[in-house]
Amino acid sequence: MALVNNNALAIVLCSVLALPTAFGTAQAQDQCLTCHSTLEDNASTAFKGDIHFRNGLTCASCHGGDSHTDDMEKAMGTAAGFIGVPKGDRISVACAKCHSDAGVMVKKYNSAIPLDQMELVGGSVHGKLSTSGREHIAQCTSCHGAHGIVTKTNRSSPVHPLNLPATCAKCHSDATFMRTYNPSLPVDQLEKYKTSVHGKRNKNGDPKTAECASCHGSHEILSAKDPRSQVHPTKLPATCAKCHSDATYMRPYGIASDQFEQFARSVHGQALLEKKDLGAPACNDCHGNHGAAPPGVESVSKVCGTCHALNAELFSSSPHKKAFDSRKLPECETCHGNHEIVAAKDELLGVGEGAVCAWCHKENSNIKGYQIARTMRSLADSLIVSEENAIMLVDEAEQKGMEVGEAKFKLREIRQARLETRTKVHSFDLDQFSEVATRGFGSAAKVSTEASEAIDQYYFRRWGLFIASLIITILAFALYISIRRIEKEQVQNR
Amino acid sequence: MKTLWNRTFTWIDERVQLSDVMHFLEKKSVPVHSHSVWYYFGGVSLFLFIIQVVTGILLLLYYKGSEELAFESIQFIMAKVEFGWLIRSIHSWAANLFILSAFIHMFSVLFEKAYRKPRELTWLSGMILLFLGMGFGFSGYLLPWNEVSFFATKVGTDIAGVLPIVGEPIMVFLRGGEDVTGATLSRFFGFHVAVLPGIFTVVLGLHLLLVQRQGMSKPLSYERLPVTDQKTMPFFPNFMLRDLLLWLLVLNLLAILAVFFPWELGVKADPFAPAPAGIKPEWYFMFMFQTLKYIPGELWFLEGEVVGILLFSLAGVVWMFIPFWDKKSSRGEENRFINYIGLFALIYIIILTTIGWLS
Repeated sequence: MALVNNNALAIVLCSVLALPTAFGTAQAQDQCLTCHSTLEDNASTAFKGDIHFRNGLTCASCHGGDSHTDDMEKAMGTAAGFIGVPKGDRISVACAKCHSDAGVMVKKYNSAIPLDQMELVGGSVHGKLSTSGREHIAQCTSCHGAHGIVTKTNRSSPVHPLNLPATCAKCHSDATFMRTYNPSLPVDQLEKYKTSVHGKRNKNGDPKTAECASCHGSHEILSAKDPRSQVHPTKLPATCAKCHSDATYMRPYGIASDQFEQFARSVHGQALLEKKDLGAPACNDCHGNHGAAPPGVESVSKVCGTCHALNAELFSSSPHKKAFDSRKLPECETCHGNHEIVAAKDELLGVGEGAVCAWCHKENSNIKGYQIARTMRSLADSLIVSEENAIMLVDEAEQKGMEVGEAKFKLREIRQARLETRTKVHSFDLDQFSEVATRGFGSAAKVSTEASEAIDQYYFRRWGLFIASLIITILAFALYISIRRIEKEQVQNR
Repeated sequence: MKTLWNRTFTWIDERVQLSDVMHFLEKKSVPVHSHSVWYYFGGVSLFLFIIQVVTGILLLLYYKGSEELAFESIQFIMAKVEFGWLIRSIHSWAANLFILSAFIHMFSVLFEKAYRKPRELTWLSGMILLFLGMGFGFSGYLLPWNEVSFFATKVGTDIAGVLPIVGEPIMVFLRGGEDVTGATLSRFFGFHVAVLPGIFTVVLGLHLLLVQRQGMSKPLSYERLPVTDQKTMPFFPNFMLRDLLLWLLVLNLLAILAVFFPWELGVKADPFAPAPAGIKPEWYFMFMFQTLKYIPGELWFLEGEVVGILLFSLAGVVWMFIPFWDKKSSRGEENRFINYIGLFALIYIIILTTIGWLS
């Protein structure tokens, strides 16, 4: 990533020739460029197209020295402040000299470019020290190039949206380079990106589609694990929504723009965005990140099955698998929806209102499935009632001050069985479902018995106390009478 | 039946001269006056201690003194062992009533000046018994290994740790390390069932021996009465039966408390969880705990807490050695200063305990 290579011999030659040039006023006196142009080196050639050159900057602006003299000794002398080719952090320092100075950028050039880029890079993942420990990982030139710098809207700029993926990939696809910084970070992002909808459109010349900076930011890039990062799971949906919730922006692509709102209402969205549960999926968990694309009909269950493995496995071996495939129905999505997936409660099961089974299984047309759905729902409802009854008895026993820690613990078994029935539904096999439900009923019966016994024990204790108190009181009374009698006798004996 | 009783008595008497003891008891008398009621609190304390020993031994049959099993074993005692709930509740309630009764006993002795010569050692051994009783309470409080007891022990041992020079070693000794862990539980269990009972039994034996040797103390006002006006009652059977009657009433009270207010077990201690709000020590440490809260962080060049502990230690020593510096009472003269000190201490303890309890 060197800016230019010094060629001492060429410069000596140049100083001898010292040919006049016909650049503008400022550059007319830029003896450095005059000389280097005659050499036709890459740096001087590229610099003529550089935005800095067009704004009147000279070689000395970055390299130091005196560009007004044709005496090479003086021009490139330390007395004139010549620093040669800046290395390491001195590159960014040279850029920041102007780019972080409002006096130069705003007053002199009336520029709207933010002045905090250097600061942002310093705090970013690229602002960490390189393996040598002498400089930061990336310098301005790493992305923007050196002598041919143009605005990012210029198609030839390495940071133009259509060029940026390749620019980032210079380092990020280099396994050897990346291993020295983050061995666990994949290096196939560009390859995946090329397969994504974004990547394909980008390749076809659509600068509106997302590229690296759209999601990761530019100067302020942070690790995806950093909660401040735009691609941290809790922020990613909002980052995607920047484009995908913009109806105007999305109109040319014919895509709906309500996914974020739907996701925010979903069980996943609430877990991730409200409870900050990082186990809940963000957009990238289903769509992929660099290879982002909508999952196809055949891959929906694979996507959901990444987390809901048991459900997916049961579904795959169920009769529904074949039926869905033949009708080209997306497996999980058909019943649960996609972005706005609601919590899977028992209401989804059965043939009543709100139940999804009844969409296909009608009482008069598909009687077997209809009956199974109805029976499953009936069992699920009964299990809920049994659980509620057990909880009520345990609560009552606890309120009476009885020790029901074990019974309370066993309540989990009922809950576990109830949740397991929701998984077993995906087998659509009544026997499998009943087996789990029966286990739940057994646990509920045990807990209810224990709690009832504790309540009985409560009343037993009170009766026991009454009897014991009565005996003690009789004893105490008898003792009192005895004392009175003894003392009476003692008085009489005196 | 009477013949069998007589034969048994004679059989024992021939071997251990039981008639001497009977003769001693028959001769022994208890002064009767308007403050005689306070004599019973020593006996009540003894009765409660006996209950502690009996219920403690029963609990020991099922209790497991380890970090993993302590809480569960108490849970088992309360839910599965026949009458385990009753034994545990009585043990906990009797412990508290024992301290209360011992406090009443101590204050009654103080106000009656019963510690005066020749009963200095009786007072001293009684004070040691009270401190040991509080040690029983402190060590026993941790044994269920629940959240409240865990953090109260942490706070309690932390307070000991702030003392200069000796604080840190004392804290490490009590905890069996830097923090309250399973090692602390094992240690406290050892103190509670072996070390303290051993010492307590010896000191209690001495205390009872002294009481028997010296008899009941007579108040100064009673002593000044003509001998003919000094009413007494025989220790046996009159006083002993009255004692027994009171013990029965206390037993009834314990049963009512155990059934209507069973001692809660709470939640198992989690050393990694944050301390719950409102951690409080047992009520008999409350006045000291509350006082430490009121002392500013820094006093002169010392930490406020250190000053507080040192002051309490000093007050404890002064209190313990009252018989040795209150010469006036020993001479049979009225010493109102002791009454004021006692009254101040009593009011202070009641107020601070109440505030601590309500806060």
